[in-house]
Amino acid sequence: MVYGLLGLGLVLIFRASEAFNFAVGEFLVVGAFLFYVLHFQWRIPLLVASPAGLGAAALFGALVEGTTIKPLMGRPALSMTIITLGLSNILAGGLQAVAGSTPYQFSLRLPPLVLDLGDIIFPSPRLWAGIISVIFFGLVILFLYKTRWGLVIQATSESQPKALCFGINAHLVLLLVWAIAAMCIAASGIVIANLGALSCQTSVVGLRAIPVVLIGGLDSIPGALVGGLIVGVVEALTGAYLEPRGLIGFKEVVPYLVLLLVLFVRPYGLFGTVRIERV
Amino acid sequence: MLSIENLRVVYQEVISVLQGVSLAVQDGQITVLLGANGAGKTTLLRTVCGLLPVYDGKIIEGQVLLDGTSLNRLDSSTIVRRHRITYVMEERPVFWYLTVAQNLKAAAFSRWDRQVQRDIERVMEIFPKLSGLRDTRAGYLSGGEQQMLTIAMALMTKPKIMLLDEPSLGLAPLIVRELFGIIKALNREGLTVFLVEQNAHAALSVGDRGYVMENGRIVLEGPSYELIRNKDVREFYLGAAGAGQKRYQDAKRYKRRKRWL
Repeated sequence: MVYGLLGLGLVLIFRASEAFNFAVGEFLVVGAFLFYVLHFQWRIPLLVASPAGLGAAALFGALVEGTTIKPLMGRPALSMTIITLGLSNILAGGLQAVAGSTPYQFSLRLPPLVLDLGDIIFPSPRLWAGIISVIFFGLVILFLYKTRWGLVIQATSESQPKALCFGINAHLVLLLVWAIAAMCIAASGIVIANLGALSCQTSVVGLRAIPVVLIGGLDSIPGALVGGLIVGVVEALTGAYLEPRGLIGFKEVVPYLVLLLVLFVRPYGLFGTVRIERV
Repeated sequence: MLSIENLRVVYQEVISVLQGVSLAVQDGQITVLLGANGAGKTTLLRTVCGLLPVYDGKIIEGQVLLDGTSLNRLDSSTIVRRHRITYVMEERPVFWYLTVAQNLKAAAFSRWDRQVQRDIERVMEIFPKLSGLRDTRAGYLSGGEQQMLTIAMALMTKPKIMLLDEPSLGLAPLIVRELFGIIKALNREGLTVFLVEQNAHAALSVGDRGYVMENGRIVLEGPSYELIRNKDVREFYLGAAGAGQKRYQDAKRYKRRKRWL
C-alpha cells in the first residue's frame, strides 16, 4: 500500500513531464525529515504537523520543479530524467551534511491496532501505514478526477502544446503536479519512517518504487496501486517463508524477479497504455 | 486590429523561417493566409500566440501588435486570457483521453467566471453533433467531429480573434463546407478570424482579405475576390491551369513563379 502511494508520486510526474524521477528516495527522506522537524523537534501536535509537513514537502517539490525542470521545458524527456539523477546525488549529499548519518527515532503516537490473521499478524504501525496510504491515495484520486484542476492536470499531461494553446498555464500545472507528487512521496516517507527509524539510508526504500511503477505500467494510476500491492505482498511473503530457509536477502530481489516476469508478458506493464507510434 | 510588422523568426538560432512578414488582420473580418507546405504559416501563428519558445524559436526582428500593444514577450496563457486571441493548432488538438464535455471544461480553464456551463450549452447549440457525444472520449471521434470540437473548445476561451490553422486538413469536402459555413456564421456574430489554409478555394470564398505566403515572405495580397481571380493563385493553389495552354505561356508562368520564390 505504501509502495502504491510512492508509485503514485512517480506516475504523476511521469505522466506530466514524461520524466522518471530518480530522486524519489531523497524526496522521501526530505519529506519525512520536514515532518520530523515539525512534529518531534518543535513538538507541534500531529493534526497540525501532518498538513504542515506535507505542505512543506509540496513546496519543496515545487521548488525543485521550478529550478530544475522548468528551464528544460520543450527539451527531450531524457534530459529531465538525467537531471533527476543529478538531483538525487546533490540531495543525498546535502541531507548527509545536514542530518548526519545517525538514525533518528521516529514513532507516531497512534492508537494501537492489531489485525491477526492466523499466520500473518499485522502490527499496529504497519496497519496504520496501510490505512494512511489508502486514504491519501483516495484523496489524490478524488482531486485528479473530480476537480477542475485535476481535469487540467490530465489535459496537460496528455500534451503541453495543446494545453498552452487553449490558454492553460502549463508551467503552473507542472509545478502543481510536482508539488502533489512530492506530497505523495513525503506521506509514504513518513509512514515508512514510522515502521522503524528515520535516517539518510531510508532513501534506499525509494528504489523499491521502480519495480512498483514498472509492474503497474509507468503511466497508469491504478497500476501504481496494484504494483504497490504486488511488491509489498511478495516482499512480505518472501521475508516470512523463504528467508528463514536460507535465502537471506532474497526479499530485496523478489520484486525485480516479478518485474521481469511481468515485462516478459506485458512490456508496457500491467496497466500501461500501449503507445501507438506511427512513422 | 492585429498587425504583424516585418517579422523575422528563427528556430534553434539558425533556421530562418519568417523573413520579414507584414500583414494586418482587421477586426470583424476573415483574413485568409495561403501558402504551400513549409512557407511558414504555422510558425507565424505560433509567434502570434506566444508558443514560439516551446518549439525553440525566437523573434529576431519585427513585432506582433494588437491594437498597438506589443505581444512579443508575452506567454501564451496571458495572450489567451488578457488579449483574447486563441490559436487552434492544426491536426485537431483535442485531448484524446478526455470526453467531449471534459474537453470543453478544460478549454475554459483560463476563465474565472461562472458561466462555463452556460457556454458549454451554447457551443453545443452551434455544433449540434457534439451534444450527442458528450461522454465519448475525443480520441474516438471522427475527424470532422474532432475539428468541430476543436473550434468549440476555442470558443470556450471566449476569443475576440481566432487563429485557425488548416481546419480543413483531412476532411471530406462536404464537412469542409459545413465547417466554413460555421466559421462564417461566427464571424458574422463579431468574431475576427485569421484563417490559414491550403484549401484556397474554400478559404477565399468565405474570406474578406487574403495574403499569399511563400518561403517566409508575403508575395501577394488583396481582397479575396481579387485573389480568387488572380492568374497565379488560380494556377498554384486552385489547380485551374488550362489544359491546352501553349508551351511558351508555361515558360512565362514558370518565370513568374520563380520570381515569387
